[in-house]
Amino acid sequence: MTPGNPFPTPSPRRTRRVSKLGDRIFVGVVALATAAIIAIMLALIVVLLYGSRLAITTLGFSYLTGRIWNPEFNIYGILPAVEGTLVTSGIALLIAIPLGLGAAIFLTQHAPTWLRAPVGQLIELLAAIPSIIYGFWGLIVLVPLERNVIEPGLVKYLGWTGLFNATPIGLDVFTASLVLSVMAIPTITAVSRDALAAVPRAQKEAAIAIGATDWEVTRRAVLPYARSGIVAGAVLGLGRALGETMAVLLVIGNHTIIFTSLLAQGSTIASLIANDFFEAATPLEVPTLLEAGLVLLLIALAVNVAARLVLARFQAVGGGAAAE
Amino acid sequence: MSSTSESATTPPASTPPSDTMVRSKGKSRTGLYVVIAVVVVIIIILSAGYAAGWFKTSSSGTSGSCTPPAGQTLDGAGSTLVAPLMIAWSLAYTASTVDYASVGSGAGISDITQKTVDFGASDAPLNPSQRAAVPSPGVVTIPESAGAAVPIYNLPGLSSTLKFTGQILAAIYLGDITNWNNSALQAVNPGVVLPTASIIVVHRSDGSGTTFVWSSFLSDSNATWNHTLGHATTINWPVGVGSKGNSGVTTTVKSTVDAIGYVDINYALTNGVAFGAVQNPAGNFIEANVTNIESAIADSHPVFPSPTGDWFNFSVLNAPGTHDYPISTFTYVFVYTDVGTAYGSAYSQAKAQALIDFLLWIVSPTGQSYSAPLYYIPLSSAAVTFDDNTIKSVTYNGAAISSCVPT
Repeated sequence: MTPGNPFPTPSPRRTRRVSKLGDRIFVGVVALATAAIIAIMLALIVVLLYGSRLAITTLGFSYLTGRIWNPEFNIYGILPAVEGTLVTSGIALLIAIPLGLGAAIFLTQHAPTWLRAPVGQLIELLAAIPSIIYGFWGLIVLVPLERNVIEPGLVKYLGWTGLFNATPIGLDVFTASLVLSVMAIPTITAVSRDALAAVPRAQKEAAIAIGATDWEVTRRAVLPYARSGIVAGAVLGLGRALGETMAVLLVIGNHTIIFTSLLAQGSTIASLIANDFFEAATPLEVPTLLEAGLVLLLIALAVNVAARLVLARFQAVGGGAAAE
Repeated sequence: MSSTSESATTPPASTPPSDTMVRSKGKSRTGLYVVIAVVVVIIIILSAGYAAGWFKTSSSGTSGSCTPPAGQTLDGAGSTLVAPLMIAWSLAYTASTVDYASVGSGAGISDITQKTVDFGASDAPLNPSQRAAVPSPGVVTIPESAGAAVPIYNLPGLSSTLKFTGQILAAIYLGDITNWNNSALQAVNPGVVLPTASIIVVHRSDGSGTTFVWSSFLSDSNATWNHTLGHATTINWPVGVGSKGNSGVTTTVKSTVDAIGYVDINYALTNGVAFGAVQNPAGNFIEANVTNIESAIADSHPVFPSPTGDWFNFSVLNAPGTHDYPISTFTYVFVYTDVGTAYGSAYSQAKAQALIDFLLWIVSPTGQSYSAPLYYIPLSSAAVTFDDNTIKSVTYNGAAISSCVPT
């Protein structure tokens, strides 16, 4: 920022020698950091596998297909928690992607310039709020609203679908999904905003030049270019939803059972672990909970791989020039 | 278009002249030094004071002929319910340092099983599989305090305390009674205008000693419950909303009109939550308080199992006295029957004695006097006698451990 350089340039010979040694150290350090991350990831999987070996050998596939979770009688079926995890995260994404992406499009393409920076920073702040605070907000604000206003309406008008027929309590799968969507929105907005902002102006101007409307510019010129960033945002948002523990635990009603109504009580893998782990009373319960962790890890991994495959297919079809 | 206006706004941000920047930096640096100096001085004063014995509560001179072993640290872990009492005990007890980790009853049991602590604490006794998992030489079960579970509810506009029977509570938690204006509920609450609303059942989502005593009471009251659900720290609830911890159940019930839940008595009393009266075997509807729980535990004349025996079906529920509260329970501490052989040579005799001293102290009149102010229930004299004998039966490599209990 100041015109005068405070650091006088040293002689070129010295610079080169230092930088060579420095470079080597630097590369070594960053390589070590990468190795550490890989090692931690592997150690995590090994520990989960080792800790759950008793459950895996005792229960086998019945653990993955079992529909009942009842530690008291040594019955462990993870399916209800898997259903809860996938349904809550899925609904959360269905709500969060249109809202999050819409906000990102508005902020990068249409918002007045003076509004962009403050709102953008606000959204980044929202993404950094600890999840327990979303949980409290859900419990104190959303649950009474759901119970008294939203859910009676859903039962009345959408009860016929079978998805919304239960006594509205407010503590249920639907409320948990809403809390998760609110948590995922800022993540999706923040990441896709960066991706949209990186779209070169020439790309847009070319579309405008051939007479495209705002909608056409966004759909044909901007979104395809930012596609990988948008998918990354959605995956990050989904990752947050899949692993969210306390906020879900506070509002989902904690009933580990297969549900058909979204107004029923449920549980997710993360909330199940948080509920049961500290009071695990039978020798098989801790291994089964560690195996639940393994299942969650595999779900997260599968989501990431699936997103990459989708992206690769988009790039193959839509032309590599558009993306990155 | 956007970039031009942005660059136009940036310069004012970096305008403050460097002179004031330097000065303000220097000022804040001085402030920092002052703060550090103050903190250092406070630390020195406090540590000097600590060395001089400022913070010891006068019991430095233990009267009596014996001296307890000095400098010992005891580790305990388990029940969150009994944690406030344990912390009060560990602060008041000066002969040894007692560290209590409030990690949950299940974790406390697994910690004592894995010998990572000197004592484990649980609101429920060991279940058969937990008992089987304890390594040789096995543990003794010491009931060290007592409590009770109470039904709490949220029915605004209700003028009088609701009355429940065990049968009705079981039917509500089974999902057989679904409405507040149910005829059975109305029959025991004559004259009370009950709302025509569905009952929202709230239970614990985590494992809990409160669930253990609650489900034990429902098992005793209802044959269907006994056959299908039984009694345990976690129940496969047929209906209802799960909330974590006593605090979670209280919050959910408080914020949900038409809800019913159950929490430990000390939680209901410290939080000022309304709770119902429960019918006892004498036919009276009793609102729980420290006195009628204490008398319930005395009147049930508990025949304690052997200290090393199976406590899973031991209960002090449904005491016969006319004013006894029916859903009462003990909370427990577990220690190895022989600490020398259990922990190996690293465990000194002095530490063994420190452990015995502490346990004898918490069941002594001094230790038990901490219970009532925190809404825990003091032990009956029969329980204290039983505990004294149990604790003194603990050995160190086969030999009895001498004790010296501070008063």
